[in-house]
Amino acid sequence: MTPASAPAAISRSPGRRRTYRLSLSAFWTLYQLTLRGHQHGKRWIIMTALMLLPAGLGLLVRHTAPNVPSVAIEFIFVFLLIPQALLPLAALIYASGIIQDELEEQTFTYLLIRPISKSAIYAAKLLATLTTTVVLTVLFTALTYAAIYAGAGGNPVLSRCLKACSIHALAVVAYCSLFGLMSLLTRRVLIAGIIYIVIVEGLFANLAFGIRLITVIYYLRIIAYRTLPFIVPTPSGPTDFAANAWQLDISNDPKLLEHPQLPHCLIVLLGGSLACSILAMVLCSRREFHVKTVEKG
Amino acid sequence: MPIFDQGYQHWSGRLSGHAWRWLAVTRHGVRAGLKNRFLRYLILAAWVPAIALVLVLCFWGLIERRSSLVSTLIQFLSFLQPGIITSPRDFRIDIWRLSYSYFLRSELWFSMIVIFLLGPGLISQDLRFNALPLYFSRPLRRIDYFLGKLGVIVAFLAMIMIVPSIVAYILGLAFSLDITIIRDTFGILLASIEYGLIVSLSAGLLMLALSALSRNSRYVALLWAAVWIVGGVVSLVLQSVDSEQRRYAYYSKITPPPVMARSDSPSRQERAAQMRAWRRARERANTEYRLGELEFSKRDWRPLVSYMADLSRIGQQLLATNETWEKLSRFEPDPQSRDRMLANYMGPEFPWYWSAAALIGLFGLSACILNRSVKSLDRLK
Amino acid sequence: MHSQPLSQVPGQTQVTPIVAFHEVSKWYGNVIGLNKLTIRILPGVTALLGPNGAGKSTFLQLATGQLFPSQGTVSVLGQSVWNNPSLNRFIGLCPEQDAFYEWMTGRDFLNTCARLGGMNRAEARDATSRTLQAVGMTRHQHRPIRGYSKGMRQRTKVAQALVHDPDVLFLDEPMAGTDPVARRDLMDIIQRLAGEGKSVVVSSHVLHEVQSLTPNIILLNHGRLLAEGHFRQIRDLIDTHPHHIVLICDHCRNLATRLVAWEDVEGIKVLPGDKGLMVETRSPDAFYARLPQLSLENGLLINEVYSDDDNLEAVFRYLVNK
Repeated sequence: MTPASAPAAISRSPGRRRTYRLSLSAFWTLYQLTLRGHQHGKRWIIMTALMLLPAGLGLLVRHTAPNVPSVAIEFIFVFLLIPQALLPLAALIYASGIIQDELEEQTFTYLLIRPISKSAIYAAKLLATLTTTVVLTVLFTALTYAAIYAGAGGNPVLSRCLKACSIHALAVVAYCSLFGLMSLLTRRVLIAGIIYIVIVEGLFANLAFGIRLITVIYYLRIIAYRTLPFIVPTPSGPTDFAANAWQLDISNDPKLLEHPQLPHCLIVLLGGSLACSILAMVLCSRREFHVKTVEKG
Repeated sequence: MPIFDQGYQHWSGRLSGHAWRWLAVTRHGVRAGLKNRFLRYLILAAWVPAIALVLVLCFWGLIERRSSLVSTLIQFLSFLQPGIITSPRDFRIDIWRLSYSYFLRSELWFSMIVIFLLGPGLISQDLRFNALPLYFSRPLRRIDYFLGKLGVIVAFLAMIMIVPSIVAYILGLAFSLDITIIRDTFGILLASIEYGLIVSLSAGLLMLALSALSRNSRYVALLWAAVWIVGGVVSLVLQSVDSEQRRYAYYSKITPPPVMARSDSPSRQERAAQMRAWRRARERANTEYRLGELEFSKRDWRPLVSYMADLSRIGQQLLATNETWEKLSRFEPDPQSRDRMLANYMGPEFPWYWSAAALIGLFGLSACILNRSVKSLDRLK
Repeated sequence: MHSQPLSQVPGQTQVTPIVAFHEVSKWYGNVIGLNKLTIRILPGVTALLGPNGAGKSTFLQLATGQLFPSQGTVSVLGQSVWNNPSLNRFIGLCPEQDAFYEWMTGRDFLNTCARLGGMNRAEARDATSRTLQAVGMTRHQHRPIRGYSKGMRQRTKVAQALVHDPDVLFLDEPMAGTDPVARRDLMDIIQRLAGEGKSVVVSSHVLHEVQSLTPNIILLNHGRLLAEGHFRQIRDLIDTHPHHIVLICDHCRNLATRLVAWEDVEGIKVLPGDKGLMVETRSPDAFYARLPQLSLENGLLINEVYSDDDNLEAVFRYLVNK
């Protein structure tokens, strides 16, 4: 084709024949796309198996150890097992794949070449991840309560259930934001996440020192302790399970004045989640994503 | 003819049989695995317990020979009964057994982490990148493929469990210079090799089955973490709930600490004596409680839920560690310290064949999963 | 040999390039993807050629804003493309990798791409239907993509690049794995787009088909620009390889004795079976001009004349393999 017959140069006239909505519709579409993606694949099978565990165990314990008070079973499964092991794992399963799943499947290109910024891509996918994990968490926490208190419900149990669901939802939001940020900082987010869960949330959180202030679970425990009673009747008298298990020195500090107050805990968790999310969005906007070839660590 | 064809030349040799086909797959997998920096560091770190084992065995060999090299260190062994130090040869087998037991227990943890790093991609990556036709379009059977992949895991676990056991044994022999040591301790070496193979085969096949379930190696790794860690946590929770129930029932029978009324006004020495007596009674109650728990553990099924506990139980049986502790406890001066020793060091005593059955069941399930998930070429989509 | 960029052909006014690379280098660790590339692509259809590892995909990823240049500047439609998502409304990319949301139907996928492009529901629906028809996928639109053949997948990939009606289209190996019918259809689509005033940059290995699409080529090798422009002009400039012209005739040895006297003929080879001659010449136009007279004067009937290497494949071979 000679230059003489070349088409006219493309002009950037302001009046285009197409009309576009604000990128809000693109954001919403990506949010829906991610939600739909969560429903496919085998990930939800792993999640369901994990999350049904406390409910199943609760039923099992009720049948094999009928003398154990329901509040004790609730404490062990709802406030020990779920937040210590299951919630961080669930968050890791979903949040580690916010960007990495699309990179590995090589479908991320289709998002990069749309008129939606990379930070908005991350935000939409994070929001969808939070939606999925919060819904699953609330569902299975409620199921666990149903298994533990089946036949012995009532308003007090419903109130406890609602508070526990809210606390767990807050936890999973914090974990998802954190692991989402981790997934942009390292390709080995799984190993980093498990090390974090075992060492930081598992070890540091159980030390009665200031280091537990950097853990998510510490604030959850304080919120739980300040909003729910954990007195369990035992043969040697009423025992505060939570204070013993969480090393809260209520004998010297019965009102936990040395520990953060409820609003402070909420601010730290929500603020921390927001900070991680914003930082991740900034990182995402500045990063290159090599979709065609597998990225090296 | 002076000019030779440089193009493709047909190979006119004989193909080897199927017996060693799997080795090609294993060799490739090991080479690929060794490229992982973290795995290399982990294998190096896994040799630290091996070094500790070697040191203990060599040290004991020197003690048996009453070497002057260790005479100054014997004073630090005052925690052992005097009878053990005066006739160390009589306790050779026990010390070796316990040393190997602790070594293998720590290596079990390293093995789980090695499999976590190495195993997820073994079959899942082949599924993701559609590499199965590349394998099965060659004269490679499915069994060769599975054995090859299993061989990768066995090779790495052998590096951290079996090879160090053998090396430590040889060095222990060298430092003992007593030919009877082979007769006494060869069974321990065989038991440790057997245990290493059981762990490798069981965990290896389980990981291969998990890896065949998903094309995404990240989910496979999470599944493995779930089996390994969550299984352990669940088992612990079940045991804790049960034992707490018994503990509270037991301790409710113990009288609370003495409270002195003002009118009694005992002297300070009397109060202190009463508190000491109460603490002794409490300690006795603790020991009796733990012994009771050991007795209960003979019929407790809850540890079976934990995969690591099942493997540990098999190791404990092969190395006869509980019997060793029982034997050593007989040298304690009084029944109370004997009971305390047993309570502190004995492992669970549920029947080992329960764990063996659980492991065999898992083995069978893994084989079924592999059979269904990995098809030969004519069945591939 | 030197190349004359199209934008600098004498007598022609400056045309705004759709893609402009200025001193662009891109490296991945120690591996250099592109090496000081300066190029201006004008509106129309342009073929991006090069052997494997030449830097074609790096070029396309830089041009579509997926990568940031290590050095230099990249602009598309006069704007910097990095972190400029609004520019993506006017750009379409058909990537090389065969990756989809396999659980979606073809229609679903295109509709999602249209909505991601900022269209509202009704616009997206219409654009999807139009694009499906354009690529010939209307019949299969409700099947999940995992059940598509390779050709269908390629068509769907091209469709997602077209659904938002971009001004500039980048196609990375659009013919890969397709059957001849699908290939023909895709070429028709590209030609139609060019006729509508779109600009298309095609990266492909299927040289004879690219040649039928456009004579404008950009040839890369080892991350460097090897040649750009009209492939015939480039061919003429390749001094080291004289043109090969094949003459099918009956009395080829007689004809050869006549031709060998011409100064611009550098070599003559008799084809097997005395079917004809293969003539090497540096002045093909002059050769063609004199050939009819030679045939008439001497009564030597020539049945067929064609150039053996006046094509893109020859240009590619000579430049890349030297």
